[in-house]
Amino acid sequence: MTETALEATALGKRFGRKGGWALRDCAFRLPAGRVCAVVGPNGAGKSTLLALAAGLLAPTEGTVTVLGTHPGQARPRVGFVAQDKPLYHQLSIAEMLRVGADLNPGRWDAATAERIVAGGDLDPRKRIRALSGGQRTRVALALALGKRPELLLLDEPMADLDPLARHELMGVLMAQTAEYGTTIVMSSHVVAELEDSCDHLLLVGDGRIRLSGELDELLAAHTRVSVPAETDLAPHTVVESRGTGRQVSALIRPAGPLPGDWRTTAPSLEELVLSHLRSPEAPALTPAARTEELPA
Amino acid sequence: MTALAVPVPAGGTPSGTGGTGRAVRRPHRVALVVWGLAVTAAAVYLVWLHSLADEARGGTSACAVPPADGLPSCASVAAITADDVYGGGISLVAGALAHLVLPVAAWAGAALVARELETGTAHFAWTQGVSPTRWLAARLAVPAALLTAGTGTLVLLHVWARGDGDPNLVGDWYHPDVFIATGPACVAYALAALALGALIGLLVRRTLPAAGLTFAACLVLHNVMTRFREDLWPTVTRTGGGELPRSAFTVAWSERSTAFHPRSHYWPLQFMETGLLLTVTAVATTAAFRLLRRRTA
Repeated sequence: MTETALEATALGKRFGRKGGWALRDCAFRLPAGRVCAVVGPNGAGKSTLLALAAGLLAPTEGTVTVLGTHPGQARPRVGFVAQDKPLYHQLSIAEMLRVGADLNPGRWDAATAERIVAGGDLDPRKRIRALSGGQRTRVALALALGKRPELLLLDEPMADLDPLARHELMGVLMAQTAEYGTTIVMSSHVVAELEDSCDHLLLVGDGRIRLSGELDELLAAHTRVSVPAETDLAPHTVVESRGTGRQVSALIRPAGPLPGDWRTTAPSLEELVLSHLRSPEAPALTPAARTEELPA
Repeated sequence: MTALAVPVPAGGTPSGTGGTGRAVRRPHRVALVVWGLAVTAAAVYLVWLHSLADEARGGTSACAVPPADGLPSCASVAAITADDVYGGGISLVAGALAHLVLPVAAWAGAALVARELETGTAHFAWTQGVSPTRWLAARLAVPAALLTAGTGTLVLLHVWARGDGDPNLVGDWYHPDVFIATGPACVAYALAALALGALIGLLVRRTLPAAGLTFAACLVLHNVMTRFREDLWPTVTRTGGGELPRSAFTVAWSERSTAFHPRSHYWPLQFMETGLLLTVTAVATTAAFRLLRRRTA
């Protein structure tokens, strides 16, 4: 598939005229149909990135293209669930779903929305304010999926769900991509939460994109090596190296074949993410950076 | 009641905007019900006051002791209490209408925009296929239509209930409450409060501060208008002695001359004040839309 769901060029957002940059120099491209994990520590800029994609914020510099157009134009085709799951607390679940139907004329899929709510054994007459955090997430997801989005942006969607509900709703999301080819972008600071379901990664750290690309390719581009302390690791790119006595354990991006006597292992997603976050000075690996790094 | 016949906000596609309008009204049921009840109660009260008017006029008529020249006895005139009830009721309604701007300001500042930004429900609406500008348009249009319909109806009923506007019964035309509550300026005040509430809500983004600031802004607006109302139209100057006409709004007075607004200046003054308030409304509305468009994609 060559269609692009989300693309950013030199994207930056600063809050206030003198405030710091929440996000800067972001460039990445997400093909349609992917399930993309946006990973990074709290305050890294994940929510800002999603809000820019959803058209809730205007970028300070650069551009973000959503489904081939301006975020404002793509609004009817994009679903978004904010971190705090904002809903009208004074309304009942059924009324809340009717608001969704009113706001999405011609697109609304009542059956899907009601099915997701029913999956949680929720009484539609119950008021939003009487719901638990997890139940509210369920209603918010029902509203986002009810509009049949082509792109679904989820900001920390699973944070207040119990493992059972998390598993079930993840299943609902996966069925959605399988059936309609919906692109899903979800942020989390819990890496393990996303490992099984995502095929694309966007690692955000300190307002910049540190890694972006297909999960398999990113993992394949890195190797964990264990070598004697005096070994010169050049010309390979060292992401992180830690000495353990006379041995050094390092995560590297091999620039070519590695010597046969190096002990190598494939890193896990969590290792990959943590190594990059622990070493802010390590070079980023994004489609733009990759062309510079590996002149083919 | 006309106020409850909810119109569809202008602009956009019919189905889409109707949906937005419904979605905007649904979370504001309490405000809608309170406004509907208040307008209905005030309307019923005004109709009842109107029915008292003739009797009330009897209570202020000339009298003689002993009755003579066809004039009633002063004892019988004093025994009529309808004039007190009627006059008190009319000035109560005038006062309420003249100060309607303040509760509208507090509500608009808090509920129109700020609360939705604070709780994030605005973001919910913006990601549900409604652009921020259409969202704000619907949020402004529905209350604007309801306020115009309700306030307009009450002003008309109020003028009707005042009858010939005998100043001894219902107060002089230039009394600040009476002036505002008998003309289009009353509606313009409510609309200005709405627009300022939206703008301040967007700027402050917090419910309570926005309510307080909008209230304060409208209080200042109300008082500045009352203070400078006399300057909105050139006065008539009368030199030398001679009595001023009844119900003259005296602006400046010296031994030799008096500057005043005769009753005929009521409409020019109303139009000037209404025009100024609608200018405030238009500027605040434009600023609110500009701000929202700059902030969101």
